[in-house]
Amino acid sequence: MIRAYRALFVAGIQQAAQYRIQYTLYVLFSVIRPIIFLAAWAAVATGQGGRVGDFTAEDFAGYYIALTIVIHLTTAWNSLEFELEVRQGRLSPKLLRPLHPLHYSVVENIIWKVTTLPPLVAVLALIAWTFGARFATTPLHLVLFVPSIVLAAALRFLAGWCVASLAFWFTRIQTANTLFDRTAFIFAGSIAPISLLPPILQTAAYVMPFGYMLFVPAEILRGGVTASVALLLIGGQVLWLAATFALLRVVWRAGVRTYSSVGA
Amino acid sequence: MRYLRLWRLFALTELQFELAYRVNFVLGFVEMFLVVGTSIAAVLVLFSHTTALNGWSLDQMLVLLGVYYLIQGVVNLVLTPSFERLMEHVRLGTLDFLLLKPVNAQFLVSTRHLRVVRGMDLLLGVAVLLVGLSRMDDQLGLGAAFLFVLTLGLGLVAVYAMLLALVTLSFWFVRVENLLAIFWAFTDAGRFPVDIYPGWLRLTLSTVVPIGIAVTAPAEAVVGSLTVGTFALLAAGTAVAFGFAAWFWRRGLRSYTGASA
Amino acid sequence: MPPVVVVRDLAKTYRVSERQEGLGATLRSIFDRTYRDVPAVAGISFEIEAGEVVGFLGPNGAGKTTTLKMLSGLLHPTAGAARVLGHVPWERAHAYLRLMTLLMGNRTQLVWDIPAADSLRVLQEIYRIDDVTYRRVLSDLVELLELGPLLHKPVRQLSLGERMKVEFAAGLIHSPAVAFLDEPTIGLDVTMQVRIRQFIREHNRRSGATILLTSHYMDDIVALCKRVLVIHHGRLLYDGGLADLAERMAPHKLIAATLHDSAAGTDLSRYGTIVGNEAGRVTLRVSRAEAPEVTARLVHDLGEGLADLSLQDPPIEEVIDRVFSGEALPT
Repeated sequence: MIRAYRALFVAGIQQAAQYRIQYTLYVLFSVIRPIIFLAAWAAVATGQGGRVGDFTAEDFAGYYIALTIVIHLTTAWNSLEFELEVRQGRLSPKLLRPLHPLHYSVVENIIWKVTTLPPLVAVLALIAWTFGARFATTPLHLVLFVPSIVLAAALRFLAGWCVASLAFWFTRIQTANTLFDRTAFIFAGSIAPISLLPPILQTAAYVMPFGYMLFVPAEILRGGVTASVALLLIGGQVLWLAATFALLRVVWRAGVRTYSSVGA
Repeated sequence: MRYLRLWRLFALTELQFELAYRVNFVLGFVEMFLVVGTSIAAVLVLFSHTTALNGWSLDQMLVLLGVYYLIQGVVNLVLTPSFERLMEHVRLGTLDFLLLKPVNAQFLVSTRHLRVVRGMDLLLGVAVLLVGLSRMDDQLGLGAAFLFVLTLGLGLVAVYAMLLALVTLSFWFVRVENLLAIFWAFTDAGRFPVDIYPGWLRLTLSTVVPIGIAVTAPAEAVVGSLTVGTFALLAAGTAVAFGFAAWFWRRGLRSYTGASA
Repeated sequence: MPPVVVVRDLAKTYRVSERQEGLGATLRSIFDRTYRDVPAVAGISFEIEAGEVVGFLGPNGAGKTTTLKMLSGLLHPTAGAARVLGHVPWERAHAYLRLMTLLMGNRTQLVWDIPAADSLRVLQEIYRIDDVTYRRVLSDLVELLELGPLLHKPVRQLSLGERMKVEFAAGLIHSPAVAFLDEPTIGLDVTMQVRIRQFIREHNRRSGATILLTSHYMDDIVALCKRVLVIHHGRLLYDGGLADLAERMAPHKLIAATLHDSAAGTDLSRYGTIVGNEAGRVTLRVSRAEAPEVTARLVHDLGEGLADLSLQDPPIEEVIDRVFSGEALPT
């Protein structure tokens, strides 16, 4: 298994080297959406005499910078590719190989993240300076961030695959993707830190899995929660990861069965 | 007049094609509804903590969001599909056929293709705009309405011009898609009034990616806060941008046909 | 009537920027590029009369497509002049564009996802064809090309040959007076090639359109063109009748002698080079000048042993091949 991964990594890195410019550009525009909401909240905070709830304009800056890093580290776009593979029949050769298609995705994702991190951090540093971002991060937060980000990445990755698995049954899963993305847009902490959502939405956000993919690690990285609350949230991440993993196993097995019976 | 007739024919042809895949059509509409709906939800969340965003009330924000989706709708309906095809034509060499048609080439490449489903946000934009207008205290005066239409038109032309200039680059470079992706990313920022952003972003949104000023100016016209300065800037900027884009397009064509060598 | 196409010393030189490997060299090249001039067409002149079907021959890269692109208006020449129907093509005046068409066998002008019928309707509007004319031309094309059901299927569902037929319909819907056809039969199977050929001939007969066509397949040229232009390295090597081409360019003739059993086995190598020998039929290659004399000697020497004798030009493909490989030069 380890040897297979090493081979995949070598091939993947060689491939990635050809896309340097794309990577840099990707970083440039991946920071824009967080900046949009950061600017909006900063304007609201200024208008409200300096703070919204517990957040000052500087806290928002810290939050959205942390969020951008988390989004970057947890993004898994391979599931979109998967839909194409199913439709064009490119999946079959991969299913025949002795390695689950998931592993290819894991490798591609890790390479993508590592190569794009340096330019991203540079751009974010610039934004942090522009907005005067404030972090309350302690060493303990950083320690807690490690399991939290790993759990979040795994959760987001597996959830993406759950949605992608619908491609086994439906030829067009774009709508499901949009539904997933836009629900996440509201509940994962993109439009606002979950603690600033109206009460009903807030409750919903803590029950749904989306917050555990982005908001939780971002708040921990910013130092926005105490250690005990962080542990509680990480517990939530573990629960959702287990549930998603179980769901994916069921869905994937049923899907492959359907796919091979169709004989594509 | 002739060009309007032609465009109507383009639209009918593509609509027919899209309607042939009815399920996709409906699902596409559902997707646009989700996107616009969640964007409004985001604005509502913001306004649950304040009554004004940099001087914009909720109703005024709805007007602005309506204008944003209206412009996005036009871009998605006509410009994106047409320009995507244009880049493909350049790559495959099939642009030749378009150049040999007895029609203005710039018109043809800018309007030949449509994606009706993607243009749904145009309708939703109008709906949001109307909701915002109806909730505002003041009746919309004739002058303001005129100014709104005028600034909206100018804004659209400005966005069109910058997109055309970007796409024209494909005469020289192969991977213009990357630049376009950046353009789209910046476009996202048009959903809020341009004055909430830090200077460099505001500048970008008023010049290279003029979506910011294109959205904000018409909304200001309705709200009554449009200054002469903003209007003059938009009018002059649009004229310059359009002139530049048309010149650049012809320049690109000349290079493509070897006339400039 | 003046010629439809007049070409004088037409030349096109491409400037190709030299690309170096590596990031540094790429960056340097933005400011300081090195160019190399590649002559594609090096000064050619010819005229084509109304209603002619002229074949344009030459190996890959000879300058055929470049010339067609200049004549259709897509490329500006580096030097020289051309008039087609009195227009300077590269000005792309709408009046000119309405009179001509360019068809390329390896590129499609049809929209992939929609039926050709819809694309044709758009073309009607673009060329401003009135309904009566449109219907008449379309029904002619449908009949000649046997388009029938093809028009209503999305283009992407058509086979290559079917697509080419529809491509012809799209290119000719405005009844152009001049048609430039670049490899119209490329990649098609033999049956379809024959069909397309028949169509071009019939279309030329009915409409009187002037046609200049390039093709890799000699059969196309032989079947369609009385006159050919041979271009090589951007220069015009030959302009004239297809029949004369062999005479002018092939320095030898072929003598086919069929022998009776009594004379079978006679060594004929002293009369010329033996290039074929099967079932008593011997083919000799002799130089053009000696051909009459060798023929006479064969008749005399073999006498009763000779069953049949014929004097032929070598096959046109062979002649062309020899021209392009530099073996034969025009006389």
